[in-house]
Amino acid sequence: MTEAIDESVNFAGIVLRNPVLTASGTFGYGTEFAPFLDLEKIGGFVAKSLTLEPRFGNPPPRIAETPAGMLNAISIENVGVRAFLEEKLPALPDGVVVIASAFGTEPSVYAELAARVSEHPRISGIEINASCPHVKAGGIEFGQDPKLLGELVREVRRATTRPLLVKLSPNVTHIADMARVCEAEGADGISLINAVQAMEVDVETRRPVLSNILGGLSGPAIRPIALRMVWQVAQAVEIPICGVGGIMNAEDAIKFMLCGATAVQVGTANYLDPSSAQRIAVGISEYARSHGFKRVADLTGALETPRE
Amino acid sequence: MSDATTKSASATSIENKADPIRGHARVVSNEEEGPGRRLRLAVPDWPGSIPGQFVMIGAGAEAGVPRRDPLLPRPMAIYRELGSSGVRASAEGEIELLYRVVGRGTQLLSEAREGESIKVVGPLGRGFPLDRPAVASVDESGSKAILVGGGTGIASLYELARALISRGRSVVVILGGRSAGDLMGQREFEALDVQLICTTEDGSDGVHGLVTTPLADGLTSGERGATVYAVGPTPMMKACAALAATNSVDCYVSLENPMACGFGVCLGCAAPRAEGGFFLVCRAGPVFLAREIDWEGLP
Ligand SMILES: Cc1cc2nc3c(=O)[nH]c(=O)nc-3n(C[C@H](O)[C@H](O)[C@H](O)COP(=O)(O)OP(=O)(O)OC[C@H]3O[C@@H](n4cnc5c(N)ncnc54)[C@H](O)[C@@H]3O)c2cc1C
Ligand SMILES: Cc1cc2nc3c(=O)[nH]c(=O)nc-3n(C[C@H](O)[C@H](O)[C@H](O)COP(=O)(O)O)c2cc1C
Ligand code: FES
Repeated sequence: MTEAIDESVNFAGIVLRNPVLTASGTFGYGTEFAPFLDLEKIGGFVAKSLTLEPRFGNPPPRIAETPAGMLNAISIENVGVRAFLEEKLPALPDGVVVIASAFGTEPSVYAELAARVSEHPRISGIEINASCPHVKAGGIEFGQDPKLLGELVREVRRATTRPLLVKLSPNVTHIADMARVCEAEGADGISLINAVQAMEVDVETRRPVLSNILGGLSGPAIRPIALRMVWQVAQAVEIPICGVGGIMNAEDAIKFMLCGATAVQVGTANYLDPSSAQRIAVGISEYARSHGFKRVADLTGALETPRE
Repeated sequence: MSDATTKSASATSIENKADPIRGHARVVSNEEEGPGRRLRLAVPDWPGSIPGQFVMIGAGAEAGVPRRDPLLPRPMAIYRELGSSGVRASAEGEIELLYRVVGRGTQLLSEAREGESIKVVGPLGRGFPLDRPAVASVDESGSKAILVGGGTGIASLYELARALISRGRSVVVILGGRSAGDLMGQREFEALDVQLICTTEDGSDGVHGLVTTPLADGLTSGERGATVYAVGPTPMMKACAALAATNSVDCYVSLENPMACGFGVCLGCAAPRAEGGFFLVCRAGPVFLAREIDWEGLP
């Protein structure tokens, strides 16, 4: 007789049926996954980062495989906020939790995006993409400078009362400082990490493999870095954390929760197996049950560390 | 544009395709075939495919633990649909792929043994347009279809040839390789009701030279309403497209951009459009009208 376990978590004021979200830029606008999983059986998803106007990305090659990972330099190709709200959102089943991701070159642009998506009842929260590793202007500029990041979060915070998440870049020296700034400016939660800035070269052509030269590394190759950063941020702030980076299975996700994450986002794994997120949600729940936890939420921060 | 990257490649693309499945296929056989290999898979719940569609296949067999390196699945054209295996549940369909070992992923694939399990997602993409839109008043039945395959591009053409034959088209198939040993799938094409022309660059089999020689002959032989379908290395497709354009004939190609997902969410497979902006090859394609593509912008 298996006892029912409470799988739900409250992440930054968003009630999720389970802690497994999917990461921006790896889950399209949700409907693409309808043939592969039940969108109402995952915690929710973060939609592709939006800009005010529709935007085309970089010329090819945009992606390349690397050891246990991949590089991408897509450059926030997206349908724009209007088409997102008017066409993409209505196509989703009612029970799906959607978090919108905002991207811009100015704090005022992020704020306008946040205000526009906040009006829509189907949006459960907003994630600020302050960390895209390969767009020439915007994103990572904010994520790498605590002063700029603070100004960005302050301005977006004024524009919305909805749950506000900030997605941090790993391309910094002191990740905890960046998280503290976000907390101080009123962010409700922190997602980390975005892709790690990286590059790869083809020795035959003597060219970088990506047209953009630099790209973002994702996948299992970055998971230990992400885990370390989640753990450090969990020591530094009170607001909840969403762990992202290289999560391929339930075991990976559980590691993030033990290190202090309230929820997780599955990214690159969606490409390998588009049903990954649902499988991971089931696996977390099974782990919690078999390890004597009453609630999945109790996994958060349950890491045993050696005493001083 | 609101969503230019997802626009259909052409008004003639087929819409009534089945939802893709994800699952683990069983290796039925995986044998040498000319310069490459022929992989036969039994796929649970396989919904069947349209000529020109593809699958994303794991880089080799997997026993339980998902493979982390190489990480990404590989896109492969569906060479043949073999229907249900009969032995197992009828929902299990068998398909065949033709591939060449060019790197680590295809190397691992070549090591997959009978009975092992490989991750498959598909069928994906839009296939070849088989029927003309209602607006075209031309009666296409009986008109000539010229299919040109180079290298593993041949894999996209077999089911297309069968579908065109069943629609009453007269089909010419031109298969090209460097030398006699390079041609894959020759015996299946020989068994079809098509005019088969093989070319080799070294003259060791068939016509000496490139596929463009018989294609040029075929296009200038004076018949109206021909269509060219060219799949192979980019320079080959480009040359076929140019010949077709000179003869005012439509030319369809199938692009082989690197892909991470295969179903339109990573945005990694962009190909530049002639009109500016990009197509997602996995979703708007992989089949395109050659004139829709900005060939100079392809890497
Ligand atoms: C829609 C589609 C259908 C395809 N159908 C077939 C098929 O039926 N049979 C088949 O053998 N291959 C097909 N391919 C190409 C196949 O996906 C690649 O050959 C394969 O991914 C290479 O993987 P690898 O790990 O062995 O090589 P990698 O280690 O990834 O690369 C090794 C070398 O191969 C080159 N390469 C990688 N990908 C491609 C590519 N897409 N096209 C050309 N060169 C490439 C690389 O530049 C590199 O030099 C198709 C590709 C697409 C997009
Ligand atoms: C192709 C691709 C596109 C991405 N696009 C976005 C994006 O638009 N916005 C964003 O915040 N993160 C984006 N990311 C980063 C992911 O959301 C995630 O933070 C990162 O990939 C690490 O997680 P993973 O290793 O599980 O993929 C993208 C990642 C990939 C691989
Ligand atoms: S391969 Fe991912 S969008 Fe085309």
